[in-house]
Amino acid sequence: MTRVLKKPELLAPAGTLEKLKMAIHYGADAVYIGGLKYGLRSRAGNFTFEEMEEGLDFARKRNAKVYVAANIVSHEADIEGAGDYFRTLRDIGVDAVIVSDPALIEICASEAPGLPIHLSTQASVTNFEALNFWKEEGLERVVLAREVSMEEIKEIRQKTDIELEAFIHGAMCISYSGRCVLSNHMSFRDANRGGCSQSCRWKYDLFEMPDVDERQSLLGGEPLEAFSMSAVDMSMIRHIPDFIENGVESLKIEGRMKSIHYVSTVANVYRQVIDAYCENPDNFEFKQEWEDELWKVAQRELATGFYYGIPDETQQLFGKQRKIPNYVFIGQVLDYDEDTKIATIQQRNHFSVGDEVEFYGPGFTHSYQTIKEMWDEEGNPIEVANQAMMIVKMKVDVPVKPLDIMRKKKG
Amino acid sequence: MIEIVATAESTEQASLLFDAGVDMVYVGEDLFGLRMPASLPKETIEEITKIAREKNKRVIVAVNAIMHNDRIEKLLPYLQFLEKIGVDAITVGDAGVVHVLKKHGLQLPFIYDAQTMVTSANPINFSVKRGAVSAVAARELTYVELEAIQQKVPVPIEVQVYGATCIYQSKRPLVTNYFNFTEQKRSVSKDDDLFLSEYKNQDEHYSIFEDINGTHIFASTDLNLMPHLDMLYKANIKRWKLDGIFVKGEPFVKIAHLFVQAKQALLEGRWSEEVWKPLNEQLLTHHPKKRPLGTGFFLKDPGDIK
Repeated sequence: MTRVLKKPELLAPAGTLEKLKMAIHYGADAVYIGGLKYGLRSRAGNFTFEEMEEGLDFARKRNAKVYVAANIVSHEADIEGAGDYFRTLRDIGVDAVIVSDPALIEICASEAPGLPIHLSTQASVTNFEALNFWKEEGLERVVLAREVSMEEIKEIRQKTDIELEAFIHGAMCISYSGRCVLSNHMSFRDANRGGCSQSCRWKYDLFEMPDVDERQSLLGGEPLEAFSMSAVDMSMIRHIPDFIENGVESLKIEGRMKSIHYVSTVANVYRQVIDAYCENPDNFEFKQEWEDELWKVAQRELATGFYYGIPDETQQLFGKQRKIPNYVFIGQVLDYDEDTKIATIQQRNHFSVGDEVEFYGPGFTHSYQTIKEMWDEEGNPIEVANQAMMIVKMKVDVPVKPLDIMRKKKG
Repeated sequence: MIEIVATAESTEQASLLFDAGVDMVYVGEDLFGLRMPASLPKETIEEITKIAREKNKRVIVAVNAIMHNDRIEKLLPYLQFLEKIGVDAITVGDAGVVHVLKKHGLQLPFIYDAQTMVTSANPINFSVKRGAVSAVAARELTYVELEAIQQKVPVPIEVQVYGATCIYQSKRPLVTNYFNFTEQKRSVSKDDDLFLSEYKNQDEHYSIFEDINGTHIFASTDLNLMPHLDMLYKANIKRWKLDGIFVKGEPFVKIAHLFVQAKQALLEGRWSEEVWKPLNEQLLTHHPKKRPLGTGFFLKDPGDIK
């Protein structure tokens, strides 16, 4: 008999309205966004209430959910108006808020009853009793700390029934989230209020100090290696079945600052893996093409973080970095004529006749094309598409669909 | 009333701190507490608690670690032990610990201590409603913010007035990882006394060490609020913490005694530059030369931090 598994939600970041639409179009069951207040990504595109409403409308029609992050650690001046803010989010139909500060949790629970609350990973929840605490406080879901191992998730699942959300892909804080104020001290920018200056990725000397004016450096390596706290990125692409078997309800992709190219690619891949496993867990086979696809948008080396042990030096960015081949988002399909095989494309980056390009779309469709001829909007033949957002027509042999993405290898 | 709480590294030091006029000692073991000067076994904590009883003083035990499942499973017997020997309070930073206290009806007052996360009155009030009797303010708060917070909470907030402040905790063994990558065969311990400097700013140096709770980094200056204690007193902030993680033995006891003298002067209305200046000068003679002192965020404008 085929086992029936509870399919987890695939949760993707959406820094802008366009990214929200693309993430859902490419397979995300839910997206998380930032509002104009209380978010940790002050530099990400954050949503006005009007944009949220448009995003919610788009999501509803596709049976997807929208969560709003309000995960700062508040100072005294920050919480005025928080009740009104949460009530508005509830009233426009936001599916949940992601919060870490107990102050904001309390305000949300009392001022906007009915709005589900998810505890942010900023709260560093690492044990089942903490989950039970938050369950009794009325929270619906907890985002686990990135330091929790798969064995611990298994035990947590057995000892709690609050919804679990876990990170599966993206950049990681190398500290316990929220327990790092390097940025506050080194740059006077508050890491817990959206100002993180990423001091962990800087280079440091490491030394002993036998006397006030005497430093004995402990740096080593050939060539000399700086001390660094910079982590590689996380990818759990080969381990999705572990999350599903352990009953994790939501699988989260990091990156509200990431591009459309990144978000659509990563969501597309994980959609495939989750669907493939849940459809037939006993005969599931991992496909290398899934992982290859992720490398096209990877910014750093990839590893599994704390899930299968304490990360050693191989999960930090030491030494000379391998150059990861980069792909560029060059166009988005607006239309395709099946009879003439002519695609209408909106330019997003420079391309020209002779380029080898790749198209991909939801459902993990891929096709390759050498550009032989192109025309501008008026039908004049062109050699290069070099104006931002210009409309280009070209022959594409394998049919493509609106919102498919065209990219090419860099360099 | 002003209460001075000081970390203690041993039974002997705890006893000397009490004799120097400290009201409470703060002790614990690394399995449950964060960044203590020494990881003290249960027997030592029991001894210190007995001495505190005899001297009419109090004991606070650190239970403020971020607990994973394996720790939380060992926690209940530890808490039951602390309840039995009658310690006065524990610090707590993990909601799981609060849950265990409540579930088992333990009579152990707790002090909310989620380190960098305790930055406004509301989370403190949230924890007070769930039983907290005090809260440790984040070291990143300015005087203006501390004053406002104390006005809005019904419990004393504890403010660090002396010693090193932690600015970073990772569960990863970052020093070990570095030595492994550079193939240096060095063992790593909490007592290594290592420092970091940014390549771009060699003037500042930051203490770093590893223990079972991961890697910890400290601010480039240790706190010393001796010249500004009157500000705290006026703001009704009357629980002052001295942290001796990098200042061991007798010098730390002597420094604690200086703060006790400052407290007396304030209580007796004798506070003036003639009082605090000599105390501050003596402090400098006991404090390690390679650890610069400063006021951290205390005197900054809240708007200075973006």
